[in-house]
Amino acid sequence: MNWPDLSMGGYGFYVWGSYLFSLFAIVWELVSLSYRKKAQTQEKTSRQVLRGKANETTS
Amino acid sequence: MNLYKYASPTNFYPLAGKLIPWFATPAAILFAVGLFVGFFIAPPDFQQGDAYRIMFIHVPAAWLGMLLYVLMAFYAGIGWAFNARLASMMASSIAITGAMFTFLALVTGAFWGKPTWGTWWVWDARMTSTLILMFLYIGFISLQSSIEDPRRADRAGAVLALVGVINVPIIYFSVQWWNTLHQGATIRILQKPTIHGSMLWSMLIMLAACWLYSVAVVLIRVRCIILEREQNAARFAEVTV
Repeated sequence: MNWPDLSMGGYGFYVWGSYLFSLFAIVWELVSLSYRKKAQTQEKTSRQVLRGKANETTS
Repeated sequence: MNLYKYASPTNFYPLAGKLIPWFATPAAILFAVGLFVGFFIAPPDFQQGDAYRIMFIHVPAAWLGMLLYVLMAFYAGIGWAFNARLASMMASSIAITGAMFTFLALVTGAFWGKPTWGTWWVWDARMTSTLILMFLYIGFISLQSSIEDPRRADRAGAVLALVGVINVPIIYFSVQWWNTLHQGATIRILQKPTIHGSMLWSMLIMLAACWLYSVAVVLIRVRCIILEREQNAARFAEVTV
């Protein structure tokens, strides 16, 4: 096992830059998906509440 | 077991939910293993030094950008030809992940190009055709989101996706057809690879990790799309009743 030199032989900015960028892209995708799921759950809940209120007024 | 029943979004939704951890967990493990092999075991390259380590994310991202486009076009085509709603939803779901990987391939390629070629970007055949792939993804996503009726949006998207498929072999063979700055293929199916075993293994493990990640994310997104379309249909039904 070789411990990597953090400066990457002078190419640290390019190597770590590309991996950091990839990490940001993956995190962005996962966070945006979780927001999308959360918005759906809120929509579902609000629709259920509205439907419940409508049933109350008609009964 | 009747597999056709899973062609229905309602039946596929719970199945997708069960499958997600089976793809997401190995993806996380393989990402860790691939990076470990790539940074701790693979030796520096004799010409490029440590700069070549960008390859472990650049190559899988570029391959997945192309592969996901073909898969997206396939699903879009199936959805269009057979009026299969789930196939069209899969195409929509794949598009964002495919665009993300293509964008990553372009950015990491620029990060690799600067120290090795001395420039971030050149209008080279491989790079230009990959940029066109990125625009095709953006076009597909924009076209679908600009049309309100999902069926019409799916059909319009399918036409664009199928026409754009021609770009994939152009990207793949561009380094053979034209004299490009981009290097040729290092790995070929029928030939012995020209890179060190640990470099090859790290790249293949990262490719598997990216592939499993893509499947997991696409399944999560397709579940969202199924719910959104069902909710929209329910809202529409409430308004029209």
